[in-house]
Amino acid sequence: MEITRILPEDCLCLIISLTSPADACRSAMVSHAFRSVADCDAVWEKFLPSDYRSIISSSLLSLGKKDVYFHMCFHPILIQNGTMSFQLEKESGKKCYMLGAKALSMIWLLRDTFMPFPWISTSLPGLSDRFPEVANINLVWWIEVKGKIETRNLSPNTNYVIYLVFKLRDRHTIEFKHRTVGLHVNDDRVASWELRRVLIDPYRCDALYIRDRGDGWMEVEMGQFLNECGDDGTLEFSLRETDTSNFHNRGIIIEGIELSPKDISSLVDVRQ
Amino acid sequence: MGSTSTKIKLRTSDQKVFKVEEAVVVQSLTIKYFYENGCPSSVIPVHSVSSDILSKILDYCKKYVNFAAGKEDISPEELYEWDANFVKVDQNTLFNLILVGNCLKIDSLLDLTCQTIVNMIKGKRPEEIRTTFNIKNDYTPEAEEAVRREKKWAFDMLRV
Repeated sequence: MEITRILPEDCLCLIISLTSPADACRSAMVSHAFRSVADCDAVWEKFLPSDYRSIISSSLLSLGKKDVYFHMCFHPILIQNGTMSFQLEKESGKKCYMLGAKALSMIWLLRDTFMPFPWISTSLPGLSDRFPEVANINLVWWIEVKGKIETRNLSPNTNYVIYLVFKLRDRHTIEFKHRTVGLHVNDDRVASWELRRVLIDPYRCDALYIRDRGDGWMEVEMGQFLNECGDDGTLEFSLRETDTSNFHNRGIIIEGIELSPKDISSLVDVRQ
Repeated sequence: MGSTSTKIKLRTSDQKVFKVEEAVVVQSLTIKYFYENGCPSSVIPVHSVSSDILSKILDYCKKYVNFAAGKEDISPEELYEWDANFVKVDQNTLFNLILVGNCLKIDSLLDLTCQTIVNMIKGKRPEEIRTTFNIKNDYTPEAEEAVRREKKWAFDMLRV
């Protein structure tokens, strides 16, 4: 006899909810009986973060749980007064954040003076469809961009990759591209620093960490962080120029810093 | 209530009576409730369970009670190994263990047995799942293709 005829629905739901959203989608194709289990609310409620009701608009609560899930994957929600965006990573249902430029602390020097940050509205075509404003750095001698997040906001037992999301305003403004910047990620509980030096120049073949996101923005990997238990702690990440010779940098637009759960290449339980 | 040596009697679907230590049998929340709210001296019927499945389940409960009491001289890794061997059974037995774990409310047994099925599904294609569980594909080719297109991303990630 078939498994779907032998086991009661609550056991089947428990089993599918212990797989992953991607496994549930594939299971739905096994047979109609599998599909009715793999699509049910009890399964998708388990894939949603436990606090999802307080995050999404109340008008969405009447939707089926699977629809809520995919809505949260494909429509980033603005939080923290519109300075941060939140969404789910669709394969795993883990939390993904972007701290918009306004949620970051930035210091920059022009000659020897600290300057206020120049913002531009994203109503200009081709700019962020996520945040209303992004940082537009025209002329600068030295720059540092910092952000932080409470680790309890991240999904537990998850490896996060932290990216700076940016674009170079003009291919011909080479100054920033040829400067070295240090990127690091620091968890204040272990006080270990991972520092990497990169050239923010997507057109150089040794720009290992830089990738085109396909939405008009580039990303550079700042580092990785394994969030084991999600206890209280703060994760800090920053980008700081390491070359302090007095060249002017021009033409970088910063959308924000993204914390994204790393792709899980081993889909099967490693203990199997 | 009672010392650990108190025995509880259980009667299976094939009319066999098992005398089991209270500490072992109350791992099942269903039996625990029945025992505490019924007459302790009478025989508790477990109609839905056959004697071979019950004896396997009691082995499992004993192992965990003894391990928790420090009576088993094994490491957590060895217990994990023991669990892995415990679920190396044919599918019918595995399904029966899940049914009984669910009905008698033995949560750790239910988790272990369901996880075994989970590992048979994770990272697998629908065709592989059908083969594993001997399931007939009741989609028409057109319907299957439509669902596959809708969930294309879930298949793309298998090509890593």
